[in-house]
Amino acid sequence: MFRSAGSPARALLVAGREVHENVRTKTFWIGILSVPVLVILAIAVPILIEMGRGPRDLTVVDRSGWVLGAVEAEMTDADRSRFALVPPPEGDEAGVLAELNRRVVDGDLFAYFVVGADPVADGTVRYVSSNLTDEGPRRWFVDAASAAVRDRRLAQEEISAELAEWIQAPLEVEARTLGAAGEEEDVGVDDYARQWAPVAFVYLLWISIFAISQMLLTNTIEEKSNRIMEVLLSSLSPLELMAGKVLGIAATGLIMVLSWLAFAGVAVSLVPAAVTEQVGELGSVVTDPRYVLSFVVYFLLGYLFYAGLLVAVGSVCSTLKEAQGLQTPVVIVIMVPLLAMVPIAQDPNGLLARILSFIPPFTPFVMMNRAAGPPALWEYAVTTVLLVLAVAFVLWAAAKVFRVGVLMTGKPPRLGEMLRWVRAPVGGVADDD
Amino acid sequence: MVADTVATRPESGWLRRTKDDMDDALFIDGVTKRFGPVLAVDDFSMRVPQGTICGFLGQNGAGKTTTLRMVMSILYPDSGTLRVLGRSPEAIKDRLGYLPEEKGLYKKMTAGEMLAYFARLKGMPGREARRRAHDLLSELGLGDWVGKRCEALSKGMGQKVQVLGTLIHEPDLVILDEPFSGLDPVNVEVMRELILRMRREGRTVIFSTHVMAQAEQLCDTIVLIHRGRKLIDGPLAEVKASGERGILLDYDGDGAVLENLPGVLRINDAGKQAELHLEENADPQAILERLVAARLTIRRFDLREPSLHEIFVRAVGGEAHV
Repeated sequence: MFRSAGSPARALLVAGREVHENVRTKTFWIGILSVPVLVILAIAVPILIEMGRGPRDLTVVDRSGWVLGAVEAEMTDADRSRFALVPPPEGDEAGVLAELNRRVVDGDLFAYFVVGADPVADGTVRYVSSNLTDEGPRRWFVDAASAAVRDRRLAQEEISAELAEWIQAPLEVEARTLGAAGEEEDVGVDDYARQWAPVAFVYLLWISIFAISQMLLTNTIEEKSNRIMEVLLSSLSPLELMAGKVLGIAATGLIMVLSWLAFAGVAVSLVPAAVTEQVGELGSVVTDPRYVLSFVVYFLLGYLFYAGLLVAVGSVCSTLKEAQGLQTPVVIVIMVPLLAMVPIAQDPNGLLARILSFIPPFTPFVMMNRAAGPPALWEYAVTTVLLVLAVAFVLWAAAKVFRVGVLMTGKPPRLGEMLRWVRAPVGGVADDD
Repeated sequence: MVADTVATRPESGWLRRTKDDMDDALFIDGVTKRFGPVLAVDDFSMRVPQGTICGFLGQNGAGKTTTLRMVMSILYPDSGTLRVLGRSPEAIKDRLGYLPEEKGLYKKMTAGEMLAYFARLKGMPGREARRRAHDLLSELGLGDWVGKRCEALSKGMGQKVQVLGTLIHEPDLVILDEPFSGLDPVNVEVMRELILRMRREGRTVIFSTHVMAQAEQLCDTIVLIHRGRKLIDGPLAEVKASGERGILLDYDGDGAVLENLPGVLRINDAGKQAELHLEENADPQAILERLVAARLTIRRFDLREPSLHEIFVRAVGGEAHV
């Protein structure tokens, strides 16, 4: 009566349902918003705290008689918004120190400094505070007082400021990098950004693949416990069902990941490059099509690989607890590229990086990690072919496990038994119409 | 291929292939299915004519679900022939409706969306699927629930939605695996009514059960499976006529007189009611006279065909506990 829904159409129907249902869940929107919210909070909270608490009260007991004056003379408006210099109480020295201790303990005073009678000769400053984690006040005062003392010492030794600066100047580094043709090029901030940008992409790739394939695992187990699998299998084949689920969750995940990337793109474009040159340069890396394109390709291939493994695990388990045991080997494998991330970023074309590139479970992460290298074209080609073959094999094997697993109840099978399902032929009745 | 297979098989009577075989809703011949060392279905054959209700009977673990899953091409037979509506099961999937014993709904989908989704999986266009979901739910008094999530449905309502899911695409053959299990008496009636309605609409219905009374009330034909093998099959009336006759007796008094009655093979005596199973040539009149002579107060003396339960118990010997 109706046109029969073909395999791709049915799988797409399943995928569409997955996306439709997932985007209606709170988890999805929490996932989408969590990354931008966390980033904004991480930046905004310290600023807001700094702005909200007002200047911290500091007192200086200046036995030298000139250090405090020199520091006050150099105070900028920004310094005044952060620190207020409160005069010490009147009285003998023991009484003054006792009173200052009381104020610090009571929280009326953040800290006080005692500058010796001759800081040019003895060079010490006493710092008393009950908060040792906030180093801002100490660093500011000591830097300012040290500058004043340094000026006095130079004057005393009759050394000109220019001479002093020359003596203290570090060697200037003129960094050069080699282009593809071996020609020398200047090293700019963007070069450093490019060197380390892949690490950020690997992190994002890893989190995306791990989180989304976990989503597939829990979704499969939930569906199994909903007892809806057999109803679905009366309308579609296990392969169509599995393909639909894998695609649907991939699309859901991709929406999340791309929304994070879009957020990163918008965020860096809003920050004026003149204010923070590094951030501006980072923006050009984040939106670099080379990185974004390889990110999407490696996300899809990496996700399909791990999705195949985890959908098979999910199909044979009835509870998340059972799945935790069975997925441990997968988790161990996916941890390797994360552990190797920094060594690979430091030496993108080294032996470790090259070997790991050719092992399909690691390929997406390691090749992304090496993007700054960049690896030779043949390496891209060979590793991608290997990865595509591995993905095809994993999905084929997963479909065979899924076919048996989704109808199973009770204790999950051992790994050996699952491998036997993979090797066993799928019996069938040929349609000889 | 099917004709050759059938012609060489020494099957007789019911299964013998006729010119009408192509009209059978289901034709299974010599199907075997193993799960590792377990022989789940063993050289099994059955046929179900179109437009009939067939009861697929057997104890738990007899091989009913495995057979039905093979009909739905969820499982594949190791050997044998399986034809559904004259074609291979996979080719005809969209024309079948299936309600498994283990069934559920997506909790977050609305009842309307759920039914429309089932219909679309069977190839129905989206708009028509939604319209039909709405119509079917309204017909069963669930019109107010079209837009409510499945998690809000009561168990009975959920089961109605599940059954509608097997009907929404207007299948020719509907397969129900233990449709009565877990239903309260009211919903048993709803289910019975739905099955009868399916037949009225010209559909073929196969339902499995281990409760013989349900099959007796509904079926045109039955198939009895035990340990993966077919024991009995055929039209219900023929099956019952072929079994031993019996007497249903309601009485008051000392039941000891029921022992050693002439022509009685066995007695199931429950104290106030007894089932007497008769030898082929037994004389019910002589039995009644003996009971009256023994001053037993007889409230009912009903000469009748054997129940399916009795036929089943006899067929499987002492192993059945149904």
